[in-house]
Amino acid sequence: MGQYLPILALGILATLFALISLIASRLLNPGRPNDAKNAPYECGIVDQVAPPERFPVRFYLVAMIFIVFDIEIIFLYPFTAVYRELGSFGLVSVIEFAVAVFASFLYVVANGALDWGPLKQVRRSGMMVTPSRTSTSTIRRVGQEGREVHVGDEGVAA
Amino acid sequence: MILQVLAQIPTDGVTAPLVEESTSRLVTPRIPWSYLTPQLILFLGAVIGVALVALLPKRLPKYLSALATVVLAAGTLVSIVPLWGRVGNAREGAISAWSGAIGVDRFGLFVTALICLAVLVTALFADSYLRREGLDGPEFYLLLMTAAFGASIMAISNDLIVLFVGVEILSISSYVLTAMHARRVTSQEAGLKYLVLGGFASAVLLYGLALIYGATGSTNLLQIQVFLSERVLTSDGLLLGGLGLMMAGFGFKVGAAPFHMWTPDVYQGAPTPVSGFMASAVKTAAFAGMIRVFVVGFGSAAELWRPIVFVMAVLSLLVGSIVSVVQSNVKRMLAYSSIAHAGFILLGVHSATERGTSAALFYLASYTAMALGSFGIVALAARRGEHLQKLSDLRGFATAHPGLALAFALLLFAQSGVPLTGGFIAKLGVIGAAVDQGDWALAVVAMITAVISTFMYLRIIVSMFFVGGGDHGEEPAGFEGPPVNVSWTSMVGLGIVVVATLFLGILPGTVKHWSNQAVVEMVRDSGR
Repeated sequence: MGQYLPILALGILATLFALISLIASRLLNPGRPNDAKNAPYECGIVDQVAPPERFPVRFYLVAMIFIVFDIEIIFLYPFTAVYRELGSFGLVSVIEFAVAVFASFLYVVANGALDWGPLKQVRRSGMMVTPSRTSTSTIRRVGQEGREVHVGDEGVAA
Repeated sequence: MILQVLAQIPTDGVTAPLVEESTSRLVTPRIPWSYLTPQLILFLGAVIGVALVALLPKRLPKYLSALATVVLAAGTLVSIVPLWGRVGNAREGAISAWSGAIGVDRFGLFVTALICLAVLVTALFADSYLRREGLDGPEFYLLLMTAAFGASIMAISNDLIVLFVGVEILSISSYVLTAMHARRVTSQEAGLKYLVLGGFASAVLLYGLALIYGATGSTNLLQIQVFLSERVLTSDGLLLGGLGLMMAGFGFKVGAAPFHMWTPDVYQGAPTPVSGFMASAVKTAAFAGMIRVFVVGFGSAAELWRPIVFVMAVLSLLVGSIVSVVQSNVKRMLAYSSIAHAGFILLGVHSATERGTSAALFYLASYTAMALGSFGIVALAARRGEHLQKLSDLRGFATAHPGLALAFALLLFAQSGVPLTGGFIAKLGVIGAAVDQGDWALAVVAMITAVISTFMYLRIIVSMFFVGGGDHGEEPAGFEGPPVNVSWTSMVGLGIVVVATLFLGILPGTVKHWSNQAVVEMVRDSGR
């Protein structure tokens, strides 16, 4: 275990340094706070407007398609290096994998992940139309504020 | 010190050397596809289903997905029957395949059968539920199939890595299923909660797995078993850490205290048929994995992990029964009762014997029926939007829907362990297994908490059947809200679980016999 002693010593030193710095700054600073000093440090000019919070959910879909193919490449590339050695076992395994991946790709495309036209309402339901966003649409329904927010759909009590 | 022990691992036995000297071709495992028929049906069903959903026109009959799921689940059940005979007889016996990564034995088949039953009944309940909530579509059923596939992989895994893959397939499907009700905020919240906490639990499980690999030099359960039985570890810190972390991961997946925090919120928020599926199939698969890893793989190190299970069982029983009494939401009550049931099943795991395993399996079988039925009825009674799931919303349920109320009462009595129902025989089995090992304390705690949780079940039954004017002479309130529509598919599902509960209670012999035969057999991979 002796070989780990330097790591232990380094860990203790790092902890001590952090603690001493904190305590020293607490003891030594003059203690005249103002708003600018208390604000978290930020580079550049202070924002005048809140940054845009929403962006189309479609970007997630494209990212997901990317991940689907990314994973496929991760498996296919090493397979091509040793496919002769692996024989039929490797071939069958990779085909199984590719079929499963391709089926999911088919599903994603068939559900409009690559349609970049105007928004399509996949399913409309009469129940529980709230002015807030839903998970099927990012369109905010205007003119319905304060109307027909369903009661009883209380949050999960802790 | 561990490294010195590792150096002594025999290189002959368990797996063949990876590369043969003469040729450059790798020795690849042979796969006995016929033994994997149940898993293949579930997997191909899901994959082909996804492709069909993508390719076929959108306007298909609405009942088609549910019908396909029921047919596939039934087909999987049928495919288990010949395998049951094959792995049971002396000539063929249980097999280990894929370089010992999976083991097909009667234990795995029994658990797979339970999972398929859960899928079948869930699909029957889900059909009318999803239509009522305006959520109908094939995705729910596809996720149900992938969840069942992952669960059945857990049931037959002989290797910790394969087990983990099974856990993940099952978990990710259940996260999405939980958040399936796109129009209820609670469902979304429950899905997110389950995803974050479940991901954390998976990481803990994986970390424990890594430590166990470090301590024993293998992820294969058979090799771990051989390793532990052949030597005495001079330093077992790594092994203890691994066992503790894996137990924590499994404890989360089965919903046992003190890892139960997610259970009430997720069961309450999830679409109710999904809650039933989680209480039955997910719990069953997690217990199957737990039994395979701990009771069999670490059987010779039982004294190391039994104390952990002891604490988990006592806490689950106490928390599940006591906290459920003060709940006002029926789904939350059932969620806490499922924690208590997990405690009972842990009694069987704690005994670490074949009797305990078979008692746990029987318990899982009867709880599968009871949980599916109870949540199914709550799904119907909560009506459109699932707004009416409070205990007070059930007032007068018996006068409005006597049949449903009677079935619900029967399932609740069964959960509390009333004789002539499956719950009684199940509780008797696990308590018997605990007493067999001399764990009187555990048995006493189990019996006391059974009485406490009976009070909770009686609260639900009383609120359904006795429409009193309250304590202060108020007007008796009738059954309120829109009428409950019961589709014939729900009736069939309910019929299956009620008959199963009564059958397990009155004639438990057959299933008891099967669960006794369903022992985990770990054999070497013979390349057959």
